[in-house]
Amino acid sequence: MNYLISISIALDDGDRVYRPGETLAGRYSIDCFDLHRIRAVEASVLWRTEGKGDEDMAVHDFWRRDLDEELQFDLRQPVPFSTTLPNSPLSYEGRIVKLLWSVRVRVISHRGKDVVKDRAFKLGDVDAIGGGSPD
Amino acid sequence: MTRAFRYYGKKRGHRRTGSPVWGVAVEAAFSTVFFLAGCGVLAYMLFHQFAPHWRVNQKFVETACKVLDTHIEEIEGQGGPAFQPKLKIEYAAKGEIETTADYDIGNTKFNNREDAQDILDRFEIYSTERNNLYPCWYDPADPYTVVMTRDYPRWMWLAFTVPISFIILGAGGLIHTVFGWGKSVERRSARKRNGMERDARVAGGEGDRRFPGIPAGADLTNSPGTKLKYRLPESGSTGWRLFGLFAACVFWNGIVALFVWDSARGHLAGNPDWFGTLFLIPFVLIGLAIIVYFLRQLLVVAGIGPTRIEISAHPLRPGGRYAAFLSQSGRLDLNSLRVSLICAETARYRQGTNTRTETQEVFRREFFHREGFAVQRGMPFETEIEFEVPERAMHSFKAKNNEIAWALAVEGDVAGWPDFRRAFAVIVHPRSGDGSQ
Repeated sequence: MNYLISISIALDDGDRVYRPGETLAGRYSIDCFDLHRIRAVEASVLWRTEGKGDEDMAVHDFWRRDLDEELQFDLRQPVPFSTTLPNSPLSYEGRIVKLLWSVRVRVISHRGKDVVKDRAFKLGDVDAIGGGSPD
Repeated sequence: MTRAFRYYGKKRGHRRTGSPVWGVAVEAAFSTVFFLAGCGVLAYMLFHQFAPHWRVNQKFVETACKVLDTHIEEIEGQGGPAFQPKLKIEYAAKGEIETTADYDIGNTKFNNREDAQDILDRFEIYSTERNNLYPCWYDPADPYTVVMTRDYPRWMWLAFTVPISFIILGAGGLIHTVFGWGKSVERRSARKRNGMERDARVAGGEGDRRFPGIPAGADLTNSPGTKLKYRLPESGSTGWRLFGLFAACVFWNGIVALFVWDSARGHLAGNPDWFGTLFLIPFVLIGLAIIVYFLRQLLVVAGIGPTRIEISAHPLRPGGRYAAFLSQSGRLDLNSLRVSLICAETARYRQGTNTRTETQEVFRREFFHREGFAVQRGMPFETEIEFEVPERAMHSFKAKNNEIAWALAVEGDVAGWPDFRRAFAVIVHPRSGDGSQ
């Protein structure tokens, strides 16, 4: 059952706006009632689109830990991650296209649905020109 | 009550309905059907088409035969008569044999008598004076099975491409499904990205990998300008657009014309079908509208001369100021001519079985506007203008379903002519400090 798994994601620099080339660092932890239910944990830094169109998504960095192989892996201990952010695409809020960056942690269980949590962050500082007022 | 299974997904706001598991299962089933159908057809063709010819070439024994008689056998079929050339021959195989032979092992039949006769004309009836003998090949296991040629039919190799295509498509789909099975969308995306980066390294170029999600725009900088650094190509090929319109015009009106002709014949013969005639009217009107639109576009292309835009630098960056050179040819009385920098968002989404595309212009800034002037033939209107990309503008972006595109748009209002609009795509990179290093 999903309520048995709780995921926390924290970014070292909180909610600040990140610039391309900067390091995004943070840690995630998982609280789980029954450790044996979990098969693997995946963490990714990714962008995805939102809006009128079908979703596009691309992973910038990806880490996976298989619990079968890492029996000593204590899920409750915060797991640090860090990555150098790319030059593009930058976060954007347009009229029908939105571009969102996030850190996503996915807990894959032996049975049942995966549990996923996203922690959004902003890359770059561009105007929402679609929502703003052109000349 | 929610249904256990949706036949296809729908967009509900930012969310898409439909089960990914079912999606993968249907994809796997579809690929399996393709693969098995291809294997089945290929096996049938190998066994029934290829193997007999192979046996003739590898196992049959060559000997010489006398052609005693020829005739064409007419076989009645559902698709009309078929004609099969037959030869009565005599040859030595474990004793002297006289039998009626087929030309080839596939018992080829022809749709018309002339083609069958062409085959028979290759053989002359045996005469003792000339002693004209022809090679033939008989089956050592059954010497009465004999053929006059051992060539593989040319169509056979072409026919093999059909099941092989099915097998490749099916196997490709199955491999895609198997490799993706049980893997999260992020893991598949990371694997895809690693593959793309590896390919880029093998290709030996950094390419546009420094700016993921931004189109490279290589075709925008491969044409030098005469006044400024680059001459921009017009977005979308005018020729192909016109050809597409022409094809649609001919296709629609051709079909409608057949029905109109049929209806007109009824009227002329004094047997009018008024319901059919009234039913045709909207289709005729649509056809006329397509013709009018095509002619307007033809007028714009043929009557309004080429528009040339050159720019001082590319790609553009937010906050940057750039020079552009505009040249408009033709013989025109222009009510107005404008040049604007525009940005448009494009979103593609599936609705049922259709893919829809929506484009919204989200930014427009006019940099040149002139009213009431004429362009003379042989003396194009030329001007240099300056424009600026907004300081905090979003960069160009292109993914499978979403796009943010910048362009310089030239829009003209010509007296007595349809208005025209020509767009010249430009690529905007993130501003310096936002990833340009």
